[in-house]
Amino acid sequence: MAATASTERWSSNTPVTMSRGWHVRQIIIYGLLVLGGLIVIIPFVWMLSTSLKSQDQLFKPGIDLIPNPALPQNYIDLWSRLASIAPGMSFWRIVSNTLFMTLLAMFGEIFSASLVAYGFARFRWKGRDTVFAIMLATVMIPSIITRIPGFLIWKQLGLLNTYDPLTWPSLFAWGPIYVFLMRQFFLTIPREIEEAAIMDGANIVQVYWYIMLPLIRPIMLAIAVLSFQGNWNNFQGPLLYLTTPQMYPLALAVQFFQNSVSKAAPLWQYMMAMSVMMSVPVLIIYFLAQKQFLDGINIGGVKG
Amino acid sequence: MDPGALQTYLPTLVRYLLVAIGLGIIMFIAYRAQIRWGSSREAAAGRTLVMPWVIGFLIFTVFPVGASFYLSLTEYNLVRPPTFVGFRNYTDLFSVNVSPLQSADQRSSDVMPTGYKEVQRVNVADGGAVFSAKEVDFWRAMRLTLPYAFLSVPVGMIAALGVAMLLNQKVRFLGFWRVLYYMPAILPAVASALLWRWIFSPDSGLLNNILAPVYRLLGIETPRWFSDPNLALPAFIILSLWGAFGANSVILLAGLKGISKDLYEAAEIDGAGEWAKFRNVTIPMLSPALFYNLVVSVIAALQVFEVAAFIPTSATIGTFVNWQIYTEAFTYRNMGMASAEGWILLVIILLLTGLVFRSSSAWVFYQGSREEAT
Repeated sequence: MAATASTERWSSNTPVTMSRGWHVRQIIIYGLLVLGGLIVIIPFVWMLSTSLKSQDQLFKPGIDLIPNPALPQNYIDLWSRLASIAPGMSFWRIVSNTLFMTLLAMFGEIFSASLVAYGFARFRWKGRDTVFAIMLATVMIPSIITRIPGFLIWKQLGLLNTYDPLTWPSLFAWGPIYVFLMRQFFLTIPREIEEAAIMDGANIVQVYWYIMLPLIRPIMLAIAVLSFQGNWNNFQGPLLYLTTPQMYPLALAVQFFQNSVSKAAPLWQYMMAMSVMMSVPVLIIYFLAQKQFLDGINIGGVKG
Repeated sequence: MDPGALQTYLPTLVRYLLVAIGLGIIMFIAYRAQIRWGSSREAAAGRTLVMPWVIGFLIFTVFPVGASFYLSLTEYNLVRPPTFVGFRNYTDLFSVNVSPLQSADQRSSDVMPTGYKEVQRVNVADGGAVFSAKEVDFWRAMRLTLPYAFLSVPVGMIAALGVAMLLNQKVRFLGFWRVLYYMPAILPAVASALLWRWIFSPDSGLLNNILAPVYRLLGIETPRWFSDPNLALPAFIILSLWGAFGANSVILLAGLKGISKDLYEAAEIDGAGEWAKFRNVTIPMLSPALFYNLVVSVIAALQVFEVAAFIPTSATIGTFVNWQIYTEAFTYRNMGMASAEGWILLVIILLLTGLVFRSSSAWVFYQGSREEAT
């Protein structure tokens, strides 16, 4: 990369060539940024534009980013197609399935991660660092290895084809990354704040609830976005545990649809419309919380 | 809402609440018991707070991992009870063979042992070799997944570092660029897999459409990306780069912003040029972030799932190992064999992360620890 020097260097050391060199540099920098931005954004545009095309428009040669005429009714037609394959697979049903699963798992993840992280960050007890290291090491275990016996356990419990495997295990802090991020954040909070409260006779539950929770709100928001995204997008879990199409979340409905159309003539306009529908909620939440979210994930990346 | 939905939600909701209450009660009792046995309040509180994770770890990790090792020593199809077969799944998996070819046009089947299938054939001048295996699906999956991880991770990191350094040039609207570049990582994996299957679609996909003039100019045939044994891997790597380089660069950017200006100024006084500053200041100061990124990316690259589920490849190309294990277990119902494959994947991940960790002392620079040493 040629672009390592800070801009100041040009202005302070080489005043004569400054304007020329500085302009060339700026053009290169912004040119590359725009190029990267286009690479990022064009697939999104392509997804959206495909979702508005007719079957004929799909296979017209040439690059047609703005379909004419646009067919927003694809978004409605695809649900009637789905309902004709599996009665009861309505838009509202699938979306509420996804939301139900996502919100329960998200709440469990945030709540349990904050408790566990508090225990790791703020209290001294024997073996704490070892336990913490074990927890971090579990990210290396491929999920598929626990899925096979996990499937058999849920089968034994008679809870296959329910939302149970996808929801309440989150209460057991199943995301080590969230605990880690949260702990890093706890470490940045000065201890004096709680010590003062403890001196005044507050117990641990009170300290956690009244003092820590309000303080960790920024990282909780970041984790809420991560967790919402993770559960909303979850595919492997539902694929394994859910068998009734009416109970599917969006990710599985997409796959169900893909499997139902012939390989020779994939109905890309509908598949892209489903992809758009699945992506829009996560993107909106991401845009709304982008500042806290991007700052939050960086705690882990920098200190890791 | 339709009544069917409520019927499926309510029982789960009830059990969710019961588990939450039960967990609370267990934590309360455990805290009381620890105090009674003479723990300090601080230690008891700390241990009690991490209990949810410890319980979950025992039930959802330790037990399944142990059980999967047992299963890997059995033959189990979910119908009949598991039968113990010792290490047969592993010996089957490692039944691999490399047979030399006498001439370049000798057929692979002539040199392979019976019961073995071709994984990879290499032609060298007037000969070559055939790598074959009994469990051919697994080895084909490895042949795709390992090169994928080895190529996509470093290339992705270099791209991410480049973008991070660009963004660190006091650019305007930094917030906008950060949000934009992180976007692909937010997109559901399911959506991005489908999207890229469509973009790479041979006949009317975006990529071949854009590159059509280039193909005509060079006089090459329109590539059939995911169906072409030579192009499937590059296509998967392009797909992964799009999904990851932006997100990683946002994380690396935070690392770059954390590097003190004094270090660069000191280097300049010592007469360091651009490259020297990059080599001796940027890289060492950024190395913890790079290290974290490397570990996480390697683990993720070996476990690609959605992409494999949504983008069909031909059997000879193979698929990603995580999906292959899933299919072995839940489509073919070979729970034993799938568990053995899962364990091999686990060992590979452990070896690779172990390697990264071992090497880290040579190249990862932790400011705090170095200061203590001096």
